[in-house]
Amino acid sequence: MKTHLTLAAAGVALVLGALPAMAQEKPVAGEVKEGSLKGKTLTFVSYGGIYQDGQIAALKEFVDKSGVKLLSDGPTETAKIQAQVESGNVSWDVVDTSDFPPYVYCGKLFQKLDMSKIDTSKIPAGQVGECSVPAMNYGVVLMYNNETYKDNPPKSWADFFDTEKFPGTRAIEGSGDVSGGLLEQAFRLNGGDPKAMKPEDIDGAIQKVRDIGSDTIFWKTGAESQQLAESGEADMIMMWTGRAMAAVKNGAKYTPVWQDWLVVMDQLTIPVGVKDTDAAYALINAYLGKSAQEILTEKTSYTPINNEAQPKVEPAVAAFLTNTPERQKQGYQQNIKFWVDNYEAVNEKWSAVLAGN
Amino acid sequence: MSTSDTRSDSGAASRARRNWGPLALALPALLLLVGVIGYPLFTVVLRSLSQPEWGLQNYIWFFGTPVNLVVLQRTFTISAWVTLVCVVAAYPYAYAMTAVGPKARLLLTLCVLIPFWVSGVVRTLAWVILLQDSGVINSTLRALDLGRLRLIRTQTGVVIGMAQVLLPFMILPLYSVMKGIDLRLVQASRSLGASPLRAFFTVYLPLSLPGVYAGAIIVFILALGFYITPALLGGPRSTMLSTLVQNQVLSLLQWGRGGAMGVVLLLATFILLALAGPLMRQKHKQGARS
Repeated sequence: MKTHLTLAAAGVALVLGALPAMAQEKPVAGEVKEGSLKGKTLTFVSYGGIYQDGQIAALKEFVDKSGVKLLSDGPTETAKIQAQVESGNVSWDVVDTSDFPPYVYCGKLFQKLDMSKIDTSKIPAGQVGECSVPAMNYGVVLMYNNETYKDNPPKSWADFFDTEKFPGTRAIEGSGDVSGGLLEQAFRLNGGDPKAMKPEDIDGAIQKVRDIGSDTIFWKTGAESQQLAESGEADMIMMWTGRAMAAVKNGAKYTPVWQDWLVVMDQLTIPVGVKDTDAAYALINAYLGKSAQEILTEKTSYTPINNEAQPKVEPAVAAFLTNTPERQKQGYQQNIKFWVDNYEAVNEKWSAVLAGN
Repeated sequence: MSTSDTRSDSGAASRARRNWGPLALALPALLLLVGVIGYPLFTVVLRSLSQPEWGLQNYIWFFGTPVNLVVLQRTFTISAWVTLVCVVAAYPYAYAMTAVGPKARLLLTLCVLIPFWVSGVVRTLAWVILLQDSGVINSTLRALDLGRLRLIRTQTGVVIGMAQVLLPFMILPLYSVMKGIDLRLVQASRSLGASPLRAFFTVYLPLSLPGVYAGAIIVFILALGFYITPALLGGPRSTMLSTLVQNQVLSLLQWGRGGAMGVVLLLATFILLALAGPLMRQKHKQGARS
């Protein structure tokens, strides 16, 4: 008995002694172990263009230090992830997705993340999902044409929907993905509380969008929205901040309304069935680091998702970053859970709007 | 060695070889079609019947959802308009190609082919610049105080853009038929007292109809599957079926529904062509007789 007890005690002591060592193992965002992934290959998937170039630049230190071979692929398509997961041959290790898919397909296509393997402490509040961490932040703002509204510009999304007080054409995102944020703003017009929105409220909110009238322009790509601003085609445009900034930089005479700008983000995910999960975690953890996020913002002008990041950007870019204290106060976060729970029903109704029926 | 063996074979064998020879020539293309079109098409049909479970649920959903029917009908309407615009625009053009000298013909051919070599996306974006409210056409109209034409984000804009993209598919078959028409037949009808109009309608037009039908079928079928042009030039009211398929498959991962939509479009096209087929053959025969 005694020997057993002493053995047990020794065991407990061993475990206790090991604890501080394990605590030291706790990952720190941006830290990469020298040579830890030598001989391994990771495929990072995103949406291409300067965005993905910036992400790869942000991961350069990770590649150099860990010795991993980093491949770049894309564009992200949930259907392609599904095909890979179902065929059991997953070649995408870390995937940058839009807002909703990691919530809709959490556990099915995307792995539930083990948060002890990544340092999420510097990520802005409320942005870590069960299957995702943010890849960057941006916003959806209301941009109005200075020449149309002169001294009486719109001040809120309510004004966006008010075609009597603010006549003029509106442009709305029509890429196909439902903007829950826009529908929540529509729902608020009649005094509804988006936090308490119910499935039966969706029709009413969509009707508000329809009520804007047949003049409404639905842009399909970010580039199209930018083109609408630069050519002055629409009087008010619902726009992604990156595109808004680019349009203003190119001389579009539009001003953003920041009140209730919609917080949007891309997500980083690990598909179910990747060959080396730990290597994927290491990539994400490096991506979340301060210096990586600074590089990302400097290359892409998207807002970093590490609270300590201090990117050096020109004033035109800084004007559209969404992480300043002032912007954080004005920002509006959509009720992700509600839109995910009702994903299919909303999508069906919204695609009918987009198909002109 | 083996060739000399076959050469010494009996006459029957060589006859058999002659019969199979042409088919063997088609074999590479056939294999390609089976592999690249046949097999994927088979999986599309299979998925439309088996996902998420076996049954007709995807087809029931398709016909039970009003937006699908509206868009299906619209897809055919837009394609028909595009075909009509192409015929009207291509017919005189193709005729001109047969009537002018070799240098001018080369120029006309290049005018058809050069845009054909430019990517459809680029051409469509060029149309955006021309058609938009602040675009070339509307700025000119405004400068002349003529108001503005609603072109972009309307079906008219989509039809214009699609017709331009598809025009070569109409002109080329028309030209190849027209250049084979013996113009002495027209002369003969004129010498027998037909007016120019009558000579055209009773002699030339019927002889050129096979080209019109060939071109129209190609244009119509290609138009049915258009995706980028309606997306960029159109608005909600010119959404075509391919956009809905894309939404089902890529946004909702509903492969079964997307497949069902594709199958419905394919069958509707077959039915339409089957209905139009006899009509075309009949007209064609009449044309040949006259």
